[in-house]
Amino acid sequence: MLVLAFAATLSADERPNIVIILADDMGYSDMGSFGSEIQTPNLDALAEEGVRFTQFYTHASCSPTRSMLLSGTDTHVNGLGNMDEWTAPNQMGVPGYEGYLNDAVVTLPQILKQAGYHTYMTGKWHMGKAPDKIPRARGFERDFSLLDGGGNYWDMKNVTALSPRLVFTEDGYYLSELPKDYYATRTYTDKMIEFIEADRDDGKPFFAYVAHQAPHDPYHLPRAWRRRHVGEYDQGWDAVRRARLQRQIELGIVAKGTELAERMWFVPDPTQLAPASLALLGMKMELYAGMMENFDYHVGRLIDYLKSIGEYENTIFIAFGDNGAEGADLFEMIAGTPGTLNALSAAINWSQTHPKAWGDPGSFVSYGPMWAQVSMTPFSQYKGWLAEGGIRNALIVSGPTIQRDSGSIHQAVMHVADIMPTLLEIAGAEYPETHEGHRVPPLLGKSWVTMLAGETDSVRTDDDYLAWEIFGNRALRQGKWKLRWQWKPYGSGSWELFDLASDPGERRDLAGQRPERVAALLELWDDYVSTNNVILPSRSPFESLEDDMPQRFGQDPGYPPLIYKRQFVPPPDMVKEPKK
Amino acid sequence: MIDSPSLRWILPVAIAFVAAGTTPSSAQVPPRFYWKSLVGGHAVPVIVTSMSGNANPVDPAHTVLPEASFEATVALAGYAHTFALFDRAAMAAVLVPMGRISGEASVSGRTFGEDASGYGDPLFEIDINLIGPDPIRNIPDLLRYEPGFSLDILADIAFPIGEYNNEEPLNLGQNRWYGRIGAPIVWQLGPWVPGRRTTLEFIPSLWLYGDNDDFVGHTLATEPMFQLDSHFTRDLVEDLWASLDVTWVSGGKASLDGVEGEPLKNIALGFTLGYQINDNLQLTMGYMATVNDSEPTDLRMDGFRVSLVFGWHPLVEGMKRLEK
Repeated sequence: MLVLAFAATLSADERPNIVIILADDMGYSDMGSFGSEIQTPNLDALAEEGVRFTQFYTHASCSPTRSMLLSGTDTHVNGLGNMDEWTAPNQMGVPGYEGYLNDAVVTLPQILKQAGYHTYMTGKWHMGKAPDKIPRARGFERDFSLLDGGGNYWDMKNVTALSPRLVFTEDGYYLSELPKDYYATRTYTDKMIEFIEADRDDGKPFFAYVAHQAPHDPYHLPRAWRRRHVGEYDQGWDAVRRARLQRQIELGIVAKGTELAERMWFVPDPTQLAPASLALLGMKMELYAGMMENFDYHVGRLIDYLKSIGEYENTIFIAFGDNGAEGADLFEMIAGTPGTLNALSAAINWSQTHPKAWGDPGSFVSYGPMWAQVSMTPFSQYKGWLAEGGIRNALIVSGPTIQRDSGSIHQAVMHVADIMPTLLEIAGAEYPETHEGHRVPPLLGKSWVTMLAGETDSVRTDDDYLAWEIFGNRALRQGKWKLRWQWKPYGSGSWELFDLASDPGERRDLAGQRPERVAALLELWDDYVSTNNVILPSRSPFESLEDDMPQRFGQDPGYPPLIYKRQFVPPPDMVKEPKK
Repeated sequence: MIDSPSLRWILPVAIAFVAAGTTPSSAQVPPRFYWKSLVGGHAVPVIVTSMSGNANPVDPAHTVLPEASFEATVALAGYAHTFALFDRAAMAAVLVPMGRISGEASVSGRTFGEDASGYGDPLFEIDINLIGPDPIRNIPDLLRYEPGFSLDILADIAFPIGEYNNEEPLNLGQNRWYGRIGAPIVWQLGPWVPGRRTTLEFIPSLWLYGDNDDFVGHTLATEPMFQLDSHFTRDLVEDLWASLDVTWVSGGKASLDGVEGEPLKNIALGFTLGYQINDNLQLTMGYMATVNDSEPTDLRMDGFRVSLVFGWHPLVEGMKRLEK
């Protein structure tokens, strides 16, 4: 209540600025303040001045998360019931599955703009390309936006043959070309600083949505940032995961005794790999680490700018990643079939495959499932899936509304859809019942204001639940319990039950032992489905995985002994030359 | 889950050092000769040159014989090996010239029309890197290798055991000790990506010669000669590269029984094309000719060079066998 009173007494020009820093495919443990060896001093400084949250949930892929962030509503309501790229035949034409942020919802920038905020966006949009769907049409006064779901950091060349150019807008117009010296992470930062600078004397607060592409693949990176971790990852993914977990325990991100999720069954044991293999795979992680550090550097530039104009102290920062780290090979999915148009396009535009060219224009590097699991330490799986590795993200909040101890770490269960009601409350704005003549759906999330003020430990009761559905994968969390259905072989093809308090790595399916809990959670699931018009897709990108992937077995250390047994060394005093 | 498409880059890179070439003549090495590669590699070069001019093409002193006109077809065959020495990259090589030379020459008023054939003086070379990357001891090192700015020190010495006829001025053997010390420099310009690699290379060296005290009855002495080989090399595509070559020589004044000639002060311009035929085999072709060489005492020489170098490394060969 203190903060509510605080917000209510503010005059318009005293309201805090808002900066959302959204990283694309950043893993849970990729920031130093969440246990990484990657150097992220600027994000860590925000964490030290603000607070960290360890049980923050997004969706398992990017545009669904973004739609919930900017509309505060469920994906099956706001148009991103499925990703545009994967809309299933039975979802086509159904409201809630348009593949873009639909007109049923009102957006956060639209409301903040009406409430007297400047609204700026730079970076990735991925929620519609038509003139009435672009950032300018959805509430942003100024924007410099990539409308696609990702891609090139250096120029407009896209990967898919039938959409050979990425589409950008600036202040509501489609760009015919990019600025000189364009590099996505730098340019998005430059543009945001430019937007803020242009209006800074008019006394209005601003809402800045900095939706970086980084560290999404392809790992395009200026050369100066590529050699900061040379050889560091040749030790392999298991060792790096263990080291991250240890730091997470020391920091208090996870509880002592937390067990790592099992290594994905198809990911090799790095101790069995030749140095050359480890080096090649390690070089991809070196590049990823550079991506993160470059991203952090540009976050620092924005922070420094705000400090230089005296606005830093009155700015709320919310920093997080949009989904789990990416473990799939997007380039292979698109261009990996010889003889296709996409393969031809890749041969022309995306064939810089030599390791020395990694990071250059024309290269397309992604780091694979082994490093994605490192990024998601200590969790299981990654982007696209509803295991914790697909949906749980690191969250940093800092700024004037925080009344909790600086640098403190909290375990409350939170959701990306909470951000909109939180910011509306802080800005003193109301969520409307109607917008442009139609009723708008209710907000899904809950404001964090009382929690940030230290009045409550969680904004959720024991009865509240969170639920997800994407690509046919389903999950629901209530309290410590998580119910999950996933396509085989990532899931079992049936409902599984996990106790996240004791098993955050989702190693032990308790569905057989706790059928009453499964039944209770399934009732909630049915409620979620009916409330939000969830239509399970008739087709899925994962529908054939069981046939395509290696058969799933558990990871038993040291099995088979055939390859793990080391050289027998006899007692020295029993070694002799052969008799003549 | 191992990225096998990436592994395919290992093989040609590992072989690069041997493919980079070996000494095409006793007086000049080709571009990219001092690039480093995997320790423990081996190479066998075969280099054929067709040259003409007014100095014995196999004489590293380039002793000008005014009014002389030589034609030579010379091959060099040898062996090179890379290793680590004092924790630095090093290479040792031996090259043996062989072939035929024919032409006319005048020495002390006598005109010789002659042919020579057989084996020349074997040349031994050792090169050690002083500034630059650590030795490439394994494939991870190889994957990360970039020369940056690399400075070596080298020493060559030729043993006077080649075929020599003291009644003729034109020989494959030189009947004297000679050698050089040098400091090869490789300066990487831009990215080290096959298809885009660019280097500026300098090999300053000082040649030192013993006396030939039986040169058609005379004593031939030669002062030290400074030689600067410069190359601007650039990949054209991944397996094809080109180089612009400039060689400057200065000094090396020869005397015959104490009668001094003129010191050399010459420039030669040329170009080289290199092509990686497969993981083991590289072909280079080049041409070089002296310029501003109209005076009788100027060095006048030009020649074509074709080299074929077969290189191998046990580890790489093993990987290839497994791939099969």
